[in-house]
Amino acid sequence: MIDGILTGLTTVILPFNLLMVVVGCFAGTFIGMLPGLGPISAVALMIPVTYGLDPASGIILMAGVYYGAVFGGSTSSILINAPGCSSTVVTAFDGYPLARKGQAGKALALAAYCSFTGGTIGAFFLLVAAPMLAKVSLSFQSADYFALMVLGLSAVAAFSGKGKVLKALVMTVIGLMLSTVGADRSSGVERFTFGSLELLDGVSFLLLAMATFALAEVMFSVLRREHTEEDPTADMSNLGSMKLTKEEVKEIAPTVGRSSVMGFLIGVLPGAGATIAAFLAYGFERNLAPLKEKLKFGQGSLRGLAAPESANNAASTGSFVPLLTLGIPGSGTTAIMLGALIAYGIQPGPRLFVDNPEVFWSVIISMYFGNLVLLVLNLPLIPYIAKLLVIPRPILIPMILFFSLTGVYLVSFNAFDIHMMVIVCAIAIGLRLLDFPMAPLLLGFILGGMLEDNLRRALLISDGTLEFMWERPITAVIMTLAFLALFSQPMISLAKRLMHMKEPSPKVADGE
Amino acid sequence: MALTKDRIGGLLFLALCIAYGFSAYQIPFYPGDEYEPFTSRTLPIILAVIGTGLSLALIFAKSEDQDDGPILPNFDWRTGGLMMLYMVGYGIILEWFGYTISTAIFLIAGFHLLGERRWTVLLGVSIPFVIGFWALLVYGLDIYLAPGELFQGE
Repeated sequence: MIDGILTGLTTVILPFNLLMVVVGCFAGTFIGMLPGLGPISAVALMIPVTYGLDPASGIILMAGVYYGAVFGGSTSSILINAPGCSSTVVTAFDGYPLARKGQAGKALALAAYCSFTGGTIGAFFLLVAAPMLAKVSLSFQSADYFALMVLGLSAVAAFSGKGKVLKALVMTVIGLMLSTVGADRSSGVERFTFGSLELLDGVSFLLLAMATFALAEVMFSVLRREHTEEDPTADMSNLGSMKLTKEEVKEIAPTVGRSSVMGFLIGVLPGAGATIAAFLAYGFERNLAPLKEKLKFGQGSLRGLAAPESANNAASTGSFVPLLTLGIPGSGTTAIMLGALIAYGIQPGPRLFVDNPEVFWSVIISMYFGNLVLLVLNLPLIPYIAKLLVIPRPILIPMILFFSLTGVYLVSFNAFDIHMMVIVCAIAIGLRLLDFPMAPLLLGFILGGMLEDNLRRALLISDGTLEFMWERPITAVIMTLAFLALFSQPMISLAKRLMHMKEPSPKVADGE
Repeated sequence: MALTKDRIGGLLFLALCIAYGFSAYQIPFYPGDEYEPFTSRTLPIILAVIGTGLSLALIFAKSEDQDDGPILPNFDWRTGGLMMLYMVGYGIILEWFGYTISTAIFLIAGFHLLGERRWTVLLGVSIPFVIGFWALLVYGLDIYLAPGELFQGE
């Protein structure tokens, strides 16, 4: 492991890669601060840039953008009560009240310290857990991979929230369907191309990510008339002191520790990402707090700010574990990174650890650096970065649209892609109006190819029977987990409904 | 049976699955493929079946959350639609005028659509930006940008 750390360190310490960490954190913070644009959009916008870099630098840049965007999201949550992404919604609960009390500086500093601690604890766990898991997963066979992918896809649906499981599953299937467009990887037969030459290579993953996230988000802000609203101008001249007292540090230290560990563990689970971690950590802390402290939650409690901030950063780090070791992304953002790695010709998964140790380790090491950069450089610069938010929306919106379009165009130099993006974006807007989540689509699309390859191999080996699903204990366990993830929620709600039938007091559960 | 968001989504998806399943059966076979356990058709057919099941579940299941049916939010559809059209137009003129000119036109049109009327801003932001970006692409990243078809004859 020492070898690995040194490999990672020598890669990251290259001046160019260090520059990528810094640039990534800055760009991510800026994009993350823009309301509506979260880490997924930020990372998607960066992909075209990374195509010109070597794999290690590219993935370092994207990782930097990722935590930069999470941090930027917290900043806009605290300053203007407009979370840049869903994982920082909870940050606004207590961060914004603190800013209203004139303690914006303290809130920002606390957010940065907690993000740093959460991220570092997460990175440490990653350092320990990832290589171990990678070693175990070297013994995995096609059937196990197939089972893992089914687990990943069903977990995303299971964690998508109450009443949305079916919709998330539908989106996953659409994603899988989209992945079958183009020439079949094994036989070369054309599938669903309808004679179009442009579709022969399949749907471009970058196009899909850009159109469903960056483009659709910005179009939503146009539709909501956000460009006509007065820009939310936070008073940047008076952020207040950025210092925390010793008592305050003592008060929040246990919270940060608990939330970081919890955040990391939740982040590792496929499908559950930073958002769920932040919500759970906040709820957990509130339940744990004594009554006097509990009343402060939502009014500007330091613990209430520390918990989600530590948890969401630790979870962002945790979501790299399944990506790096199994090649299965745990969240929308890591799904995009997986797509970018595949475009480089690198297959994340257990072999990554053996074949491209420099990529594997430099991601882990760059996490420390990224957290450090956020703390040392970004925090003091927040007032200045926040000034960029003053760019009027009528100028900013066409610019972001242009960057999204050009990012796809500069890869293919094909104007057909721009038209396709507009069509996909229109469909995405329609689906979002019908409350369909978009992340499962992307995940299904990215895992589709690998799922088919592994299913083919497993079926060929088992001679066409489905026995491979339970023949080996490990496959059986993973399949059972996938089954549980998929059916636990419907079964619980069915059980609840049956219980209500017996005792007619439906009001009790309505508050849930 | 009220037409809720779930049901509309379910119906659309059902139509998609039927069309997908139908074209899955049109995927050509190689000789001998019918004896193989896995062909190019296998996954598409599985997906079509799962998808049909899910869409039927979506249509007939009792919705868990409050779903009052599709309410078209009070959005600025006109501006949004025009912006989409501008993007399509950008894709078209890109072939004819080349990258720089069409990008400048797109940006100016976009700024104008969203309410920016000062010519100093319209031109003062877009043109330096385009020139800077062009220089970055051509000299910084060594990307070849083909001139538009209108200028290619010279």
